[in-house]
Amino acid sequence: MSTSTNEGKQPDVTLTINGLAVKANEGMTLVEAAWHAGVPRVTSVGCMEGVCGSCRVMLRRGKEVTVDLACQTFVENDIEVVFLPPASAPRHHYEIDDFKDGWDIHARFHDIFPEASRCRHCHGCDNACPKGITVENGVALADAGRYREAGEAFFECIMCELCDVACPELIAPAHVGLFSRRITAHFHLRPPNLIHRLEELRQERQGATLKESDEE
Amino acid sequence: MSNGIPLAEALARYRPDAELGALPELTDADTLLNAHHPDHLRGSVVKLVVGANAGENCQRELANLLQSEAFIDEADLAGTPVTDIDVLVIGGGGAGCAAALMAAEKGARVLLATKLRLGDSNTVMAEGGIQAAIEPDDSVQRHIQDTLRGGHHAGDPALVSAMAGDGPEVLRWLIRQGMQFEQTPSGDLHTRRAGGMSTARLVHCRDYTGLEMMRVLREAVIQHRSIEVWEQSPAVELLSNETGQKCVGAVLTSLLDGQLRIVRTRSVILATGGLGRLHLNGFPTSNHLGATGDGLVLAYRIGARLRELDSFQYHPTGLLHPTHLAGKLVTEGVRAAGALLVNGVGHRFIDELLPRDIVCSAILRECAEGRGIRIDDQRVGVWLDTPRLERANPGLLEKQFPNLMTRTRVSGIDPRIEPLLVHPTLHYQNGGAVIDANGATTVPGLYAVGEVAGGIHGRNRIMGNALLEIISFGRRAGIAATANRDRGPKKVTLEHVNRLRRALTLADMPLTRRAPQVLPDYAAGGVWNR
Ligand SMILES: Cc1cc2nc3c(=O)[nH]c(=O)nc-3n(C[C@H](O)[C@H](O)[C@H](O)COP(=O)(O)OP(=O)(O)OC[C@H]3O[C@@H](n4cnc5c(N)ncnc54)[C@H](O)[C@@H]3O)c2cc1C
Ligand code: SF4
Ligand code: SF4
Ligand code: FES
Repeated sequence: MSTSTNEGKQPDVTLTINGLAVKANEGMTLVEAAWHAGVPRVTSVGCMEGVCGSCRVMLRRGKEVTVDLACQTFVENDIEVVFLPPASAPRHHYEIDDFKDGWDIHARFHDIFPEASRCRHCHGCDNACPKGITVENGVALADAGRYREAGEAFFECIMCELCDVACPELIAPAHVGLFSRRITAHFHLRPPNLIHRLEELRQERQGATLKESDEE
Repeated sequence: MSNGIPLAEALARYRPDAELGALPELTDADTLLNAHHPDHLRGSVVKLVVGANAGENCQRELANLLQSEAFIDEADLAGTPVTDIDVLVIGGGGAGCAAALMAAEKGARVLLATKLRLGDSNTVMAEGGIQAAIEPDDSVQRHIQDTLRGGHHAGDPALVSAMAGDGPEVLRWLIRQGMQFEQTPSGDLHTRRAGGMSTARLVHCRDYTGLEMMRVLREAVIQHRSIEVWEQSPAVELLSNETGQKCVGAVLTSLLDGQLRIVRTRSVILATGGLGRLHLNGFPTSNHLGATGDGLVLAYRIGARLRELDSFQYHPTGLLHPTHLAGKLVTEGVRAAGALLVNGVGHRFIDELLPRDIVCSAILRECAEGRGIRIDDQRVGVWLDTPRLERANPGLLEKQFPNLMTRTRVSGIDPRIEPLLVHPTLHYQNGGAVIDANGATTVPGLYAVGEVAGGIHGRNRIMGNALLEIISFGRRAGIAATANRDRGPKKVTLEHVNRLRRALTLADMPLTRRAPQVLPDYAAGGVWNR
């Protein structure tokens, strides 16, 4: 365990955040650095532990440009950081209660996400994903109707939608992933212990209503 | 607090296979709580002077916010754009989303306004799981008993039985929305037993239960035709009718451009979550950035009764190190899976699965009495013995706690090899707005659900009941708010603001402080200009 602490140290890292030159202490995350320096309008922050997907940043190191999560990235000298605006509203629409039958899910999927079949395997999504998810493969699995496996690939997805931004075909991989996960639960998760308890409670309620009408 | 065993010395002495000695018996839990729980810190509780709870106890820093001036006055309302809607939900965590979905399902046009991003919440960070009595040896009755006992019998039995009775149905509803849970090989939902439970009742999705819940509900809300979502739009005041007796809307601002907006509605559902980011008593917190207690301030100003304002949950195992994760949780699931707490002299000192307030007090006692492990003058903690757990169950940490492993990996720590240094962290607001079984507050037209509401957890919450509460009461309030077929407001006013200002003046209280807080000072960075 390293025991180094930042308290009392002189700021010794210089970088730019949203175009402003700032100084930070080594070991600070980009979120901490932005606040420390009073950079205005940094409100796309939430959990500060990499699970809410809010703190999306674009990073420029020399010529190399990448995206990441500000709360999971530590300050470096000369790095340029831009906090990204909130993601725009999704373009694919469905309501899960509209699906009546598991058999036609695959057809529905292709209606809702027609672009998913046009993946050009550019790895843009994989490179963008801060969680190391095999997004491209997840999309391919969903496109092949393998929703359970596709959903599993997206298990650590934190809805940052950086993959959506990266995708040249506008496939919206993050939403393909969530669709796959939701469909799997909605149609296939039928746990006996829960179902049995629900039935017991139903019978109890029925018994109670019967008894009430007896007493009347 | 400069006593304690220096970190290097404690680390050198640490062995995952060391004898831990006998667990000392806990003879008197009340004395331990009184001596060491932060709620009992001297000077941390005051009496409220104005409002519906005047004369009652309240945590000092919270009392300052409850008894403060609004940001908005009548002049601000002139010329402000107005939106009319059936149901306004304030807060985009689990409770708000459940309420919005249910209201929409019942036919209401819903506006969901949230301070940050939709889903940026305490809900998304919940790791451990959600309680529901589904195992054969369990019952709704036992769930009720455990909840009331865990809350030191301060909870409202009617609310507790409503919630516990909803448990199995809540799971079914979540599955219908598309939420996955961990299963046993035979397909049952996997359950764990955690602190304060008399049997296994904690259902989970590995250690990402809140994330799985939030991303599914977020998607369902975004996709829903009858729900409009406004992000970066915190509520800064409620609106009342001419007599100030009824809630008829809210004033929202925008974190992006500062524009005020009036929303007129028949029902307002407050789902603003907790207040960890107020850092009560100077503690670190496990909460997300938006948890600044705004809902309590708004509800109190419009006249709603609140309860248990002097009772907060400090989670026993917040990380002490590294700095940028300070206050962040190691889920109780790790203790439920068998990880022990060990002090700086290498002894166990408390049954790890006792209720959180007791475990937390025991850790603070170890630290205060010199048996903690010290990083520097400010930071003292105890070990959470994860390497021992890994030795007993190789692979368990990686398999069941991927979230913990990912977070520590980023910081270069491996909990399979090094024990984690932990210290209590401000985690949960036990009390909140007084509600009935529909989530209705004491003010007509105003509902409160989730962490902002009170009465279920008494003076201490047991793990897994918050996630159940937010869905159970979120759904109930969504239905009830839609059933409210009032004509809607004729006039929206700030009569309640004037009323509280008069009371403050009469009581000779300062009018300089304004609330709600909206963002912690260190994050305000010039956006949120008061
Ligand atoms: C780290 C962590 C782990 C946890 N683990 C568990 C667990 O395992 N099991 C369990 O049962 N519980 C757990 N809890 C507790 C539980 O997660 C929360 O109590 C619960 O999710 C609260 O839900 P909510 O919808 O009421 O509030 P939140 O989920 O916090 O949502 C509140 C929303 O309101 C918004 N908001 C706040 N103020 C305003 C305003 N003025 N205007 C508009 N919007 C506003 C916020 O930005 C946020 O989006 C945990 C909590 C934390 C922090
Ligand atoms: S899959 Fe997409 S939305 Fe999910 S974490 Fe990766 S980049 Fe973000
Ligand atoms: S970014 Fe889009 S097109 Fe490229 S690999 Fe990913 S899904 Fe396919
Ligand atoms: S703040 Fe939540 S992921 Fe960074």
